[in-house]
Amino acid sequence: MAVMTMERSTSRSILPTAFRNAGVDALAMIAALVLAVLAIYLFGNAAMQRVVTYAAIMLTAVLGLQMFSGNTGIVSFGHAAFVGLGAYATGILTLPAALQRTALRDLPQFLAGYEMSFFAALVVVLVLAVLIGLVTGTPLLRLSGSSASIATLALLIIVYTLLVAGREITRGSQPFYGVPREVGLWTAVAVAAMAIAAARLFRETSFGLAARAAADDERGAAAVGVDHRIARLAAWVLGAVAAAAAGAMMAQFLGAFSPKDFYFDFGFTMLAMLIVGGMASSLGAFTGVVVTVLVVEVVRRFEGGGMLFGLEMPVLFGLTQGVLAVAMILVIWRRPTGLFGDRELNLLRRSHAKAEFSKLEAVPARAAGGSISVDRLSRRYAGVVAVDDVTLSFQPDSITGIIGPNGAGKTTLLNMIAGDVTPSSGTVSVGTSARQASAFRFARAGIARTFQNIRVFPRMTVLENVVVAARVVEPGLAAAEAAARRELARMGLESFADRPAASLAYGQRRRLEVARALALKPRFLLLDEPAAGMNAVETAELVSILAAVRNERHIGVILIEHDMRLVMNLCERIVVIDRGRVIADGTPGEVQNNPAVVAAYLGSRTARARQGNDVQ
Amino acid sequence: MRHIRNRSALFAAISAISVATAAPALAEEIIIIGAASAQTGGLAPYDQPALAGLRMAIDDLNAKGGLAGKYKVNLIIKDTRSDTAQTATVTQELIDAGAKIMITPCDADPSISAGQLTQPLGIPSLTLCGSAPVLTQAVGDVMFGTYPADNLQATAVADFAISEGKRKVFLLTSPDATYVANLPEYFGKVFEKKGGKIVGRGTFTMNQPDFSAEITNIKGLAEQPDLIMTAAYEPDFPAFIQQLRGAGITIPVYGADAIGTPTIKALGKLVDGVVYTAAGYPEAGSKLEAFNAAFTKYAGHAPESTYEVNGYEIGLILDQAVKIAGSDDPKAIRDAIANLKDFEGITGKITYAGTDRMPIRPVVLMRYDGGEAKYVETVVPAAADVPAP
Repeated sequence: MAVMTMERSTSRSILPTAFRNAGVDALAMIAALVLAVLAIYLFGNAAMQRVVTYAAIMLTAVLGLQMFSGNTGIVSFGHAAFVGLGAYATGILTLPAALQRTALRDLPQFLAGYEMSFFAALVVVLVLAVLIGLVTGTPLLRLSGSSASIATLALLIIVYTLLVAGREITRGSQPFYGVPREVGLWTAVAVAAMAIAAARLFRETSFGLAARAAADDERGAAAVGVDHRIARLAAWVLGAVAAAAAGAMMAQFLGAFSPKDFYFDFGFTMLAMLIVGGMASSLGAFTGVVVTVLVVEVVRRFEGGGMLFGLEMPVLFGLTQGVLAVAMILVIWRRPTGLFGDRELNLLRRSHAKAEFSKLEAVPARAAGGSISVDRLSRRYAGVVAVDDVTLSFQPDSITGIIGPNGAGKTTLLNMIAGDVTPSSGTVSVGTSARQASAFRFARAGIARTFQNIRVFPRMTVLENVVVAARVVEPGLAAAEAAARRELARMGLESFADRPAASLAYGQRRRLEVARALALKPRFLLLDEPAAGMNAVETAELVSILAAVRNERHIGVILIEHDMRLVMNLCERIVVIDRGRVIADGTPGEVQNNPAVVAAYLGSRTARARQGNDVQ
Repeated sequence: MRHIRNRSALFAAISAISVATAAPALAEEIIIIGAASAQTGGLAPYDQPALAGLRMAIDDLNAKGGLAGKYKVNLIIKDTRSDTAQTATVTQELIDAGAKIMITPCDADPSISAGQLTQPLGIPSLTLCGSAPVLTQAVGDVMFGTYPADNLQATAVADFAISEGKRKVFLLTSPDATYVANLPEYFGKVFEKKGGKIVGRGTFTMNQPDFSAEITNIKGLAEQPDLIMTAAYEPDFPAFIQQLRGAGITIPVYGADAIGTPTIKALGKLVDGVVYTAAGYPEAGSKLEAFNAAFTKYAGHAPESTYEVNGYEIGLILDQAVKIAGSDDPKAIRDAIANLKDFEGITGKITYAGTDRMPIRPVVLMRYDGGEAKYVETVVPAAADVPAP
């Protein structure tokens, strides 16, 4: 009992371990930054301080890019545009009124004469960034992969064109000048520190988890109730805010700029820094900026010639770019995911690797709602009828097997029940008011599933894989973590919790997929060939786990399986499908002896000969 | 190990710099000129020739004892990588190194960014060949242009067009670059003031070689122009004139200094009659001809453009300013430059007095004729005629 209450207090009242871990990581990065800056502040000259100020601004911008690209997997060229918008907005808001009257003669009245301080302007700019982020993010929601990247490129071009065309407001292609220069070393470092914390923590929020899951496997993410559009929009807006903050500082750091300063060159510089460090982690963004700036600053000092260790160095301008290019090629060649692309610091996780696991065998409540009923369901693919006029209903607290020859339409039927495939005609009712054919809404309505070819999230840890699903039904991250650990323990995967899912063996990945599905607290669990590729021992293990799950939680299990021993041992009801139609529906005994079934499996002549024997 | 080696390299770098900056302070009568210039990147083709001219001037002056025969020049050059932020950084480094005069890149943004650092310290700053008239106003009284400004060039061309009897102009601009956007508009202002008329305007997108819409526009004008003024350059200018002449339009086209290139000269008959500007022309027996010969000897190749002589003249202007100031005090040098009047350079007389620190200086008008660049005349526009930026 004492153990139980302790467990409760650590997992409920204090921050979830993911946030604690992320918080410590963020603090470590911020501490490293502040220490470096302090050293420069105390011992460096004014020029070095400028270098570090610029580095902190770039860090903020690159973290903004990382928050989007790192979590959604979509390479963005558009963040340079947000930096530019932030810079121009700050310029207009902070320009001294007298100068504004001469430099921007035709400025519309409502924009003129604010003369704000930097921080007041920053607040306005950030609010603006949220609005612009929401507007520009909407078109991205329908796109995926490279087409989304191209859309960000289009955004960059549109913003550049607007900045050049908006002559009354931006001075067009001419330099925008006279911005007061209030941003110094410590302002830039403070903003960068906030960006570090935001980027590191965002990964662990439900948005961050959902975005990363969808980036790893969009269908898999939808199957655990993740709406990738909201997650992507959140990452986009947050990234835009950080980039605009960087732009606000850049405006005050440069004092003079024009639209070309925030165009392709700048976008590629940001991307190059992020790719060197590693796109998928905030540590990668941090390292990328630090390494790039360090290489540039060290090499730059040898370009102008001079003496080094008693050797006369030739004047060699361009050396910086050369060394930087070679360094980038080396990084991409040796470490394709960047220096720290695949991991965060994870200081806490390293220091006490064995996190407490719930020993509770509490039976999780399942989602409310009734049975699944399928009414006159059909699905046609260009003339091929995969599912033909099927009417079925499934009750919770039962195990149903769907069998049939290859190509019979089993998976299509299961996909329609899961909301993953839109029926050509007919309806699927899942007992709640979930809309037709929306995988993530069906998942939230208590229909969990696994896939024929496993769809775990390979780059996320085993625990995160399950937390993504648990977060959909649990009230907070701490509760989701506790639930996820419980499901992992149930599946015997607790010792792998902090390993990337990609490192698991095949059978373990199958079990992880089941654990992830169960974390949704489903009413129904749809399993598409759960034993495929497993050996006899693993299959037996799976059967006992599934039987136990069904007994404990009284959920309805619907499974497609070719392993007849598994089906006959586990299922109470078997539906046989052939050529898209239901040809038998009953208990295992009834189905085994149904001549139509035997005919479908073995051909009619063998069926007659074999009548009475077990279906193999 | 790698970390340690990196760090020691950094320390070595830092100490090397502190040694480099400490040394000149000990010697006497040395003046440091900082040059924040693009050694690499898109601006390098402009900054490099100008800087080469300046280096030659400083070598010549140092051979005679330095600026005003007294202050030996230590020219420290740092690469801005054609980047505005980097320009600000290296400018700060040059200030820290003790620069009393600053040389800034050919582009306006980085020059303004550098000027914002030198302005509070009163360090006179000269752009190598920046010609945007707004450049000096954006910074303040330490910032000086050296090359003929866009509005000065436009005034020279407009004066010439009026003197030829041209009265109706079509202005072709592009919002994509300051020079291309504004120079024809300056031309229009002067042209209208002197009795001319703007009969139409057109814009184009840079680096997009289709001018059919603009050509149709020109053809359809109710009042046909007798001149087309544009500041387009490569690759737009060749494309434009090819399509214009292809469409049977024979109206003369005038431009500015950016079309004074071998590529455009090589267009031959197509560009016959095109008038453009230059910062100087080496007439036989002129100072410029002598300079070109001397530069060829110094650098091992002939000057690529007039940027070299412009850079050399920066050295001469500084020499003269230090002579007048009688000291190496930056403020005194600044005042001396600002009050220069009719200073005899290589290309002609240079005047800062009475300007916004963009100099009034000779502008050479050239005309392509039979595949050759022919000298037309050298004009010094009146300060009062030059339109405000």
